[in-house]
Amino acid sequence: MKIFQVALGILAAIGGFVDIGDLVFNVSAGATFGYELLWVVVIGVVGIIVYSEMCGRVAAVSGKAVFDAVRERLGFRTGLIALISAQVVNLMTLTAEVGGVAICLQLLSGLPYRWLILIAGIALALVVWITSFDWIERIFGYGGLCLLVFAVAAVKLHPGWGAVAHGFVPHVDTGSPLLYAYFAVGLLGAAMTPYEVYFYSSGAVEEQWGPKDLGLNKVNALIGYGLGGFLSFALMIVGGALFLGKGIEPEFLGSITLGAEVPLGQVGLLLALVGIVFAVGGAAIDTLFSGAYNLAQFLGWEWGRYRSPSGAPRFTLTWIVLLLLGLGAVMTGVDPVQLTEYAVIFSAVALPLTYIPILLVANDHAYMREYTNGRLANALGVLYLVVIVIISLTAVPLMILTNVGQN
Amino acid sequence: MSRTIDLGLLLVDHQLLDSENRRCGNVDDLELEGGPGERLEVVAIVSGPGVWRRRAPLIGRLASWIGGGGTVRVPWEEVDQVAAHVKLRKRAETLGLGRGDDRLRPLIEKIPGADR
Repeated sequence: MKIFQVALGILAAIGGFVDIGDLVFNVSAGATFGYELLWVVVIGVVGIIVYSEMCGRVAAVSGKAVFDAVRERLGFRTGLIALISAQVVNLMTLTAEVGGVAICLQLLSGLPYRWLILIAGIALALVVWITSFDWIERIFGYGGLCLLVFAVAAVKLHPGWGAVAHGFVPHVDTGSPLLYAYFAVGLLGAAMTPYEVYFYSSGAVEEQWGPKDLGLNKVNALIGYGLGGFLSFALMIVGGALFLGKGIEPEFLGSITLGAEVPLGQVGLLLALVGIVFAVGGAAIDTLFSGAYNLAQFLGWEWGRYRSPSGAPRFTLTWIVLLLLGLGAVMTGVDPVQLTEYAVIFSAVALPLTYIPILLVANDHAYMREYTNGRLANALGVLYLVVIVIISLTAVPLMILTNVGQN
Repeated sequence: MSRTIDLGLLLVDHQLLDSENRRCGNVDDLELEGGPGERLEVVAIVSGPGVWRRRAPLIGRLASWIGGGGTVRVPWEEVDQVAAHVKLRKRAETLGLGRGDDRLRPLIEKIPGADR
């Protein structure tokens, strides 16, 4: 029974790993550099495994979610800056995800875009209000598994497997190193999306994880994110096999779904669209709640999605307001794919502000006792701190120098 | 039982929990008593937006203004336990904490299904 539950959780995690940031960056990286950047995805996936395992462990042992730790370790002033930047990035991401859902619904139904934004917004609000969270995770997680169609598509497109294997070996062999670096930073940012960690650690506190759940935490992080990373590989391979050298930039979600339609026909297209609706819709819910979690934790308010909405009034009001802001922003007609690029790049900039406090708390023996970071966790933790600081410092310069990956 | 508490690390900026484990604010500041050369004592925890303006010049002032600028003083005697969170002896309502949530609750309760 326990194994069955873990398996279900893992399935949901795989379906829930990919969001609009992964879709956009993996397919465009494939279209621009073929399979050359696959090794960067590996680094990103290991990074999110290290980071989320640490957050889950801190939550299980000390009962602290990410923004509790941020407030404690960075203090009010620096913590407030971390909060504001996290909230801005979160809202951009939410907007992009809702826009992405609406685009896919449009491709499925042919109805006008703005109506579908409204429908998507109402549907999300209703699902969150009515359905229990276990079911939300299951529905969106399993629905997101339709994205596995991209794995089948990747094989069907007969990529040169030698070239694919070569892509997993770290190397820089390109005539346009800046663009290469920009995509590398974007792929790392998309894989290590901070809202996933906010959501994950807050969920662990809500489910009252204790030290006995640390095994589950490891399995979730390793297998859930690990296999989720597998989907990222598939997306990049599809992007490379289909678009590389053809002068096509997959700047529309519709062209991303071509990746499944070309090798697999209508069925492929349908599965890809349904998969994106669920994966991106689930990510919209995650970002929505992450925003409310962060604010409530930083200010010490009552919070919780397992609580009734009136049990945590300010938390509830926060997510309602965030949803309205996100919907309003999509309604302005901003392009979700372009917004995604900005959201991923800015999230890379803000990453150290949430990563450092977690690393500090995970090393605090007063809370963590025998569950304090061991040598491996610290070696990886510090290594990734270096990676995160580098991408944080280079993200915006690279974005400007490459004109948001256009040249 | 006495043990050493690092005030800066283990008390300030920590979550307050009332006697029913309700989250009801953070330790935003401490009130200390005792002049130079005297014994320094924590006499109260101070919580609320009013403190924020002191803690961050510009954005703190803005946040404090948005939050309404109130502060609540919780006498040190009301503190039950200092662990990962700071646990209080009484209910939040009694101590004057968590009022923002209490004020907003009637509004949220008007939405059907809010108390499921």
